[in-house]
Amino acid sequence: MQREEKQLEVTLQAILNRVNDLKTAIQALIAKLENEYETINWPTFLDNYAILSGHLTGLSKILQAEMAPSLRALVVLPLQLGCERDEALSRLTEGRVPACTHDLVPDLLRTKPEPQAEQRLQQFNHKASTLSYDTAQKQVTQFTKVVSHVWEIISKGREDWEGDSMRAAGMQPTHTMTDTHALVTAVGTGKGLRPGMPALPPGVGAPGLGAPRGPAPQLGPAAPAMPKAPSAIKTNIKAANQIHPYQR
Amino acid sequence: MSAANAAPITATDSLSQALKANIIPNQEYLLQGSVLDSAVEVLLHRLRGLCDNVDAGPETFDDQEVCFSLRDPNQQSAPLMLRVRKALDARDMPYQLRYIGQPDLGDKTRPTVVRSSLDIACNGMLIEFLNELGCRIEFEYSVKGYMFRKGRMKITVAKVFKISQSSAMPPEPISQSYLVELSVLAPQGQDAIAEDMRAFADQLRPLVQLDKIDYKRLGHMAVT
Repeated sequence: MQREEKQLEVTLQAILNRVNDLKTAIQALIAKLENEYETINWPTFLDNYAILSGHLTGLSKILQAEMAPSLRALVVLPLQLGCERDEALSRLTEGRVPACTHDLVPDLLRTKPEPQAEQRLQQFNHKASTLSYDTAQKQVTQFTKVVSHVWEIISKGREDWEGDSMRAAGMQPTHTMTDTHALVTAVGTGKGLRPGMPALPPGVGAPGLGAPRGPAPQLGPAAPAMPKAPSAIKTNIKAANQIHPYQR
Repeated sequence: MSAANAAPITATDSLSQALKANIIPNQEYLLQGSVLDSAVEVLLHRLRGLCDNVDAGPETFDDQEVCFSLRDPNQQSAPLMLRVRKALDARDMPYQLRYIGQPDLGDKTRPTVVRSSLDIACNGMLIEFLNELGCRIEFEYSVKGYMFRKGRMKITVAKVFKISQSSAMPPEPISQSYLVELSVLAPQGQDAIAEDMRAFADQLRPLVQLDKIDYKRLGHMAVT
């Protein structure tokens, strides 16, 4: 018997500590909100929430542990309700609960949700359990559709916005597809590198004059040019095409 | 006793053994792109931040590459291409003889180009030897630029020059961009590295867009 009591004591002490931690964390958050509401930023605010949720997890861990059953077996029995101010109670609760009134007791000692809330929850549960599979599936697809639609809108908006900000910052394109293709083909097949061929004019992306065996390049639709590429490139290459000495 | 009587292990034996054990890095995983001259400094900066050899500064190189072809007179098949590379900035380094196979782009799910690649170091007699074999010079160019390392990945940022006929003329750049290549040499079947390369290439965006580029198809497109 004595051992059980001792264990209960220890458990209560642990829970009390946790609850006190939680209380100080909440107090700190409230103080922050009241005093720094002009300067507080989201990260610090969320940090505070993280601390709260950490304390809550710790508390529920203790309650779920082996020591809890002994608590569950105990009953709190309100012996007397009254409207008079109870100094001892007020001091214990730091002035929050001045008296054990009919108003407060049902809320303070509640172990189940409010009857109204419980009823609504049951209604919802019932509704969910009677829903047919097809209807549920349909609703899920509909929901997915809506979400993906929103996602599309957001990503499109972001792309536009990023493009705008890039242009606003005066960012020039840092690479062009034509140059990439010209370089890769030159290194791979020697286009524009073979001896005896006039060199391409610098400034034109692709080598205008092909190798003896190689056909002259043409910027077809499949070779995507950067949007900012000057239109002069195309005409230049066409001109080179016509004077090509090896064209068959 | 029996070991002493057995035939001595020849170089061919150990080579075929190595081939069988699949330890020869004969596959090249490759991504290519380019960066405009105006943006190359930014790219070098970013690479210096991302790569391993940061403290020593970027490694430079200045190579000349000559591409030889060997045709089979009886067959109409494509000529065999061999590449010889020599370092212009380090004359005492051996020549590099390289065979590169057909690039295999695979389908959309494959992150990089894969092509077979064999490298071997040779001495200066190599060009003469290839000439004697009947190889013909197809084209040559020089590449000058920077080289970075990230784990097994090699990143080169280089300018490609056309070598002019008269030695008095300076080499002409091919375009106003630098060629950027990200490559890894690995034994067959190590496809996981390709994913790493993709991830690395994504970090260079939007500065450079490294992609699978099939120059064969590009050449084809030009015909139509």
